[in-house]
Amino acid sequence: MTLLHRSSRRYLTRHPWLMGLSVLGVAIGVAVVVAIDLANTSASRAFELSAETVTGAATHQVVGAGGTLDDDVYRRLRAAGLRPSAPVVEGYGSLQQGDRTFQVVGIAPLADAPFRPYLGTGAGSDLDLGQFMTDDAALMSARTAEDLGLASGDTLRVGVEGTTQPVVLSGLIAPQNERTRRAVANLLVVDVSTAQRLFDQSGQLSRIDLLAPSDASAQEAYLARVREALPDGAQLQRSDTRTETVAQMTKAFDLNLTALSLLALIVGAFLIYNTMTFSVVQRRALIGQLRALGVTRGEVFRLVLGEAAVLGGVGSVFGLLLGIVLASGLVQLLAQTINDLYFVVEVSELSISTWTLAKGALLGMGTTLAAALPPAQEATAASVSTVLRRSTRESTLRRRAPGWAGLGLLVAGAGSLLLLGTEQSIWAGYGALFCVLVGTAFMIPWAVVGLSNGVRPLLGRVAGVIGRMAARGVVTNLSRTGVAIAALTIAIASTVGVGVMIDSFRGTVTSWLEQSLQADVYVQPPSLVFRRSTATIDSAVARRLRDVKGVEGAYSVRRVTVQANVGRTDLVAVEPGPETADVYQLKAGTPESAWPAVRAGPSVLVSEPYSYRYDVGVGDTLRLQTDRGQQPFAVKGVYYDYGSDLGVTLMSRSTYEQFYDDRGVSGLAFAAADTTSVDALIADMRASVAGLQDVLIRSNRALRETSMRVFDRTFTITTVLRLLAIAVAFIGVLTALMALALERRREMGVLRATGMTPPQVGGYLTLQSSLMGAIAGILSLPLGYVLAYVLVFVINKRSFGWTLQLTVPGDVLVQSLVLAVVAAFLAGLYPTWRMARSSPALALQDE
Amino acid sequence: MSRSRVLLTGLIGLVALLGLGAYWLTASSGEATLQTSVSVSEAMAGDTTGYRRATAPRPFSFPADHGPHPGYKTEWWYATGTLSGPDAHPYGYELTIFRTGLTPPDEAPESPSGWRTNQLYLAHFAVTNGADEKFHAFERFQRGGAGLAGAQATPFRVWLDDWSMTGPDSSAFPLRLQAQQEGVGVDLSLRPTKPRVLQGDQGLSQKGPGRGNASYYYSYTRLATEGTLVLSGDTLSVTGDSWMDREWSTSALGPDQEGWDWFSLQLDDGRDLMYYQLRRTDGTPSRFSEGVIVGPDGSTQPLDRSDVSVEVLDTWTSPDGTHTYPVDWTLRVPDADIDLRVTPLFPNQELDVSVRYWEGFVEVEGSATGRGYVEMTGYGDSPGSPVS
Repeated sequence: MTLLHRSSRRYLTRHPWLMGLSVLGVAIGVAVVVAIDLANTSASRAFELSAETVTGAATHQVVGAGGTLDDDVYRRLRAAGLRPSAPVVEGYGSLQQGDRTFQVVGIAPLADAPFRPYLGTGAGSDLDLGQFMTDDAALMSARTAEDLGLASGDTLRVGVEGTTQPVVLSGLIAPQNERTRRAVANLLVVDVSTAQRLFDQSGQLSRIDLLAPSDASAQEAYLARVREALPDGAQLQRSDTRTETVAQMTKAFDLNLTALSLLALIVGAFLIYNTMTFSVVQRRALIGQLRALGVTRGEVFRLVLGEAAVLGGVGSVFGLLLGIVLASGLVQLLAQTINDLYFVVEVSELSISTWTLAKGALLGMGTTLAAALPPAQEATAASVSTVLRRSTRESTLRRRAPGWAGLGLLVAGAGSLLLLGTEQSIWAGYGALFCVLVGTAFMIPWAVVGLSNGVRPLLGRVAGVIGRMAARGVVTNLSRTGVAIAALTIAIASTVGVGVMIDSFRGTVTSWLEQSLQADVYVQPPSLVFRRSTATIDSAVARRLRDVKGVEGAYSVRRVTVQANVGRTDLVAVEPGPETADVYQLKAGTPESAWPAVRAGPSVLVSEPYSYRYDVGVGDTLRLQTDRGQQPFAVKGVYYDYGSDLGVTLMSRSTYEQFYDDRGVSGLAFAAADTTSVDALIADMRASVAGLQDVLIRSNRALRETSMRVFDRTFTITTVLRLLAIAVAFIGVLTALMALALERRREMGVLRATGMTPPQVGGYLTLQSSLMGAIAGILSLPLGYVLAYVLVFVINKRSFGWTLQLTVPGDVLVQSLVLAVVAAFLAGLYPTWRMARSSPALALQDE
Repeated sequence: MSRSRVLLTGLIGLVALLGLGAYWLTASSGEATLQTSVSVSEAMAGDTTGYRRATAPRPFSFPADHGPHPGYKTEWWYATGTLSGPDAHPYGYELTIFRTGLTPPDEAPESPSGWRTNQLYLAHFAVTNGADEKFHAFERFQRGGAGLAGAQATPFRVWLDDWSMTGPDSSAFPLRLQAQQEGVGVDLSLRPTKPRVLQGDQGLSQKGPGRGNASYYYSYTRLATEGTLVLSGDTLSVTGDSWMDREWSTSALGPDQEGWDWFSLQLDDGRDLMYYQLRRTDGTPSRFSEGVIVGPDGSTQPLDRSDVSVEVLDTWTSPDGTHTYPVDWTLRVPDADIDLRVTPLFPNQELDVSVRYWEGFVEVEGSATGRGYVEMTGYGDSPGSPVS
């Protein structure tokens, strides 16, 4: 080990707290990125795995126009000799035992073995066909049964859309390989007949699985035979199409989470920059001596980078471990959000991919090294004599501050150009956001000088000479304070930005809900996916509810998923009444022209996100797959809708019934007669359907509250990320101030020696920290606003196509300011305490 | 400083422990679970309580009796035929559709779903290609619901997917047989040239000891057949003679019976001979073996075990060495001046399906010439046929 390495090691071990905190900063940054990535991958892996497993060996599928397919289509295929082919009826059910959601898959055991051999329905299986086909019987993973304490012969109580039905557990599935074993953990396999009964869809299948020959020409001939056998409305598609479309749903959502997670890493980078700068500055004398002894610039450069690599390496390793811990918590939050917004996914475990860990480590190391680059250059670039003098550096920095600010302005300007130059790219949006952040960071030293000088007279008047000294100290130690304030500013600004964005979103949704929920009572079947409920209200329940005394008007809503020429589409069929025009606010098109057309015939309205996602607007024609084949529908308007970021197409009930055979209802809205109280009406309604399907009957206000609760739940992860970014910033301020304090031991010694009491020194340091916090707080407000603006009008628009109203809530701003000052104050406490206690003689002896 | 270092090390250690713990908790153990194995045919066998039994002769009624008898556990529609193509090569076919009740009829499940049924259908289709001595055999299963498989008397139709036996509106005949799979297929029209024969005692065929171990059994022993045969994509016009058996029962074989050898021979002198020999586990023929000789005019002469002697001259072992079948016989009925040598067109006519059996085209020489089919079950497999 050379002298150089020994000196480096000595330095690192001499400052354990500083180095430890820097490592922790990197670790949290890496942890957040890794955790989000792991949670995202686990959720999508869980979905893909279960989709793949349920799809099995099928290469193609026949699907219907809506969610279902007449089972006569299967008969046709069989009669045309198209084998192997297997019918599937699928949906979701909840099991009382263990309160778990299961994917219920109805299969035909005699036709299924080529597709899903792991279910053991083929020759040589131990399946009791008699029971499976003639009873309401189900198969379940052996491991899940063990977890839930169930055995063959037990009765399961399966809840589907509010109706609970007994199903006998008739057998256990124990696939040979571990991967499949995991994939079947949330599967309940039943006969087609049982599934049709559970989901109340007699005569209907979800799809038909096919196995096409792999040889290209044979496949073409085979597919042609299939198409020939298919009636209008039935469609042939590759079996991975569906998985792909479903995976597409969460793309924008995943991307935004990833981008937000990077924010913590960026704040962490500032931390490393700060630590490395400090380490270089503190060793200016040592470096000067080394250089004078003949150590080359290259060696010094490598030394500094080497130290950074050690910090980054250790930080990354801990970050990865911490990330895994964090991810196991986040993944359930994420799964909940996906369940609320998009589709049912049960994530039973974290899948830890090596690639994610490698990415995290690489990102941690890369960021650390990049952040250490400027200090390393600083250490190398200076000539031997100037390195020895810190004051030179401080004054140089002060002189250069306006130049840095100019550079920052350029970077921020480049970010704006990036925004103006692109239209749809979400990454460009985040790129611009990043430019603004970095640009602002460059401007901060200059702003710090200005603000400190500005408040100096004020502080002088309030706290006398200590006040003036505190303000002055911020400026004279700009190399340290500048970075600390920048880190805190960026962290606080991002909380302001994200906070304002969530608040604006919330406000917009609140007023939208008020606008669109105008009926008195809403009835829905319980649904596993809150925002996209396609569950069906039992027809007997619907009839009874409409007949309850005190009901004046009843409107139905039907929600189904259909195939359109642009992609998979959520279709909503409504009964337009006289007040409908008030409920749906049009962004494009006029109520006078749109509604009569929608009432009259094949015309639709599309929601704003739909219009954005698929680039369809008024005057365009949408081609929807219907039970009458593919049919054109004229788009007559675009309406505001914040219910689904996937977008919705709306048509009238009469048009729906003309083109689709489905007569189900997904939701009912009732107006109460003037003389009836809503609460009394709800009680009557509940009584009238007692013992039937367990539907949710809610008042206007209750539904609004539930909606907002779900809304808040979907933003939990964002809030968690926001808090983690603050944690990193806090650590940043702590390290920066600690470095500052340690560095100024001698200065404090002088102050003490010249007669300042420990409380005075403490007051001086505390005041200075708080001043830094206040500066960061003030600077973060405009930056936070800019971030919020970009998030609301660029990122959200580009991700989901929503128009949101930007509202700046006062409390978010006050909170941020308080947070900044408190963080800085707390961060200043420990160094203050240490310094106040230190003996001035000892501090001075160091020289 | 040193105290700080201890604290820091502790902190780092804690983080590491947490991380490792989380990993171990999430990584799952690779425990293996045993999978037992029982065949589909076993699922089809089982308890006979709740079903009707063939206990006494019954009046047959047509066309109703061409249709299904869901009160009984098992039933089949069975057709074999020997055909000649334009090139004079011999061809043979077998098309059999079995019905079996998964649960007794009074436990028939009620459900809004058309897929819910306790009726299971199984079918075998085999073609013997005498031109290149190749044998093709296929097997299918289907539920008797949702219109996928089923049987009905009027208009007569028994089907499983695209394999079917259909009659015109009022009667079963001319019967059309259609089946095709993997480039092998038949589309044949069958017209009886002799009246229907009720087997056993007025159609009650006792198969084992004890009341009810019997089936209802009738045959059409000779049906003029014409139509097309598809072999490796080529369509051939064929003509020949078919044999059709109808049988339904709830239990037939006794516990000490392990299988049967069944002969259906159409002699060129106009007579048809049916004889089945039930084999006991010790290899000797059971006393319940019986048969019939049908004269050119349709007159019948029942046969029992004492009337017939069968001698095995040669055996054939399946390519995988697991099943050995007789493939060369002398069959004598001294009272009827019948002394026949029966040999298969070629030995390998074994159906390697869920329950393996041999069913093939045979040629007859000796006191008379002719052609026919022989079925042999219970050689090296679990006792009983797939639908016993």
